[in-house]
Amino acid sequence: MPSTEPVIRLENVTQLFRVIHERPDTVRELFSKLFRNRSSYHDFEAVKNVSFDVPHGQALGIIGRNGSGKSTLLKIIAGVYRPTQGKVTVEGTLAPLIELGAGFHHELTGRENILLNGLLMGYSKRDMLERQQRIIDFADVGEFIDAPVKQYSSGMYMRLAFAVAIEVDPQILVVDEILAVGDIGFQQKCFERIRKFRESGKTILLVSHNMGQVAEHCDRALLIDHGCVIVDGHADEAIAMYRTLLSPEVVAAQ
Amino acid sequence: MTELIRESYRYRELIWALAIKELKIRYKRSVLGFMWALLNPAFMMLVLTLVFSTIMRLGIRHYAIFLLSVLLPWTFFSQSLSYAVESIVTNGDLIKKVAVPKIVFPMAAVVSNIINLLLSLIPLALLVPLLRHPFYWTWFYLPVPLLALAIFTLGMTFFFSAANVYYRDVSHILQVVLSAWFYLTPIIYPLDAIPARYQWILKLNPIIYVINGFRLSVYYGQLPKAPSILASFVCAFISLFIGFSIFRKYQNNFVFYV
Repeated sequence: MPSTEPVIRLENVTQLFRVIHERPDTVRELFSKLFRNRSSYHDFEAVKNVSFDVPHGQALGIIGRNGSGKSTLLKIIAGVYRPTQGKVTVEGTLAPLIELGAGFHHELTGRENILLNGLLMGYSKRDMLERQQRIIDFADVGEFIDAPVKQYSSGMYMRLAFAVAIEVDPQILVVDEILAVGDIGFQQKCFERIRKFRESGKTILLVSHNMGQVAEHCDRALLIDHGCVIVDGHADEAIAMYRTLLSPEVVAAQ
Repeated sequence: MTELIRESYRYRELIWALAIKELKIRYKRSVLGFMWALLNPAFMMLVLTLVFSTIMRLGIRHYAIFLLSVLLPWTFFSQSLSYAVESIVTNGDLIKKVAVPKIVFPMAAVVSNIINLLLSLIPLALLVPLLRHPFYWTWFYLPVPLLALAIFTLGMTFFFSAANVYYRDVSHILQVVLSAWFYLTPIIYPLDAIPARYQWILKLNPIIYVINGFRLSVYYGQLPKAPSILASFVCAFISLFIGFSIFRKYQNNFVFYV
């Protein structure tokens, strides 16, 4: 039974980015800047005062236009950014699928990368050796598991990366738009696995531009625009609002 | 400081894996692979021995051993720094995508170079009897200066890797600093080559105490005096304290600058 206790809680989270204009790249620029004494940056609020809870076992979709702050939000939850203001609480292990194979090193073999990637996510060597076989089975790269990953096809590379993230068996899986890549067979396999992951009562955060995926997999969705949560509700509701938000742009494009 | 110990213990497997990765990649696709970690210093020693025993005869007996006893630790120091200074920046992509503790990157650079240093001591140990230089029992004292040097180096790598995130000039400045520092340290010349009235300048060089420990135990077969040992550890911990404090203060902002 999914308990109502939140596994992720964001309280008034704000993320500022300092956008630096014309950073002095040469000594001449440096001096001319020193004398003109102008401020050369502005602060950009990527996420503005966002609060929400994610209860245990929920699949939450996050949608919004490009540059709306979705990925920043995920990175805050994944602990990549420490928010400028506000508080983030995450209970339990979290596997970020922010970019497939972010921790892979091209010269290392698949097997070596499984271990390294697991360690980077905070698992122990023992944990990873226990899970190794399941990862290899899911990735289905055959003999290539002992070859350097630079020799992998892009499909094999993605399968291995996805397999590591999902088979470490985290309590929370964070998926950022990565399943847009890969062939249909692979996508189906991934979503099949994500469904099983959900059925075992785990929490999922899914960022996607594919509304079909969000409608199918998420109980709830957040619509983000200009760093604010506009809709927090049922997935269909958020998707409908997202479409209205987009329609002027679509009309303009036509 | 306890935080550093706790964190490095917690991530010990990751640090080790990154250090091994570094070495693997360094020797990957070479037929002899890991053997190069031994062969490289061995060939260097061979050349140095030939040059200084036949061509350039200095007044120092077994100059090759005299030199190598401190050149190897110095190489560890300068290579660790050269690797580590870029370590945060080169792992920028990773830092932007995974919540990974930043200290592991400079630490892995130091650990991989310690392995290299330990391996390079093997050919040195073989060279000693080969040149009929006495093999002193003080070799067993080496873990002490090794520890002090590792701590000193770690502190410096924390400082330089953090600074390089903000100013990429740092990695270039470091190369200049290292080459000046090399000549200001009695590595190619003995300590007493410096006139007595300038000796106090040497005493300001924080690496000299630990370097001296290596030369005394390998070449002279003596142990350093207690104040010198103490000074080497004081310098090491000051370096670690300053380096880590600065690193810790800025580490959460690295992600915005890499």
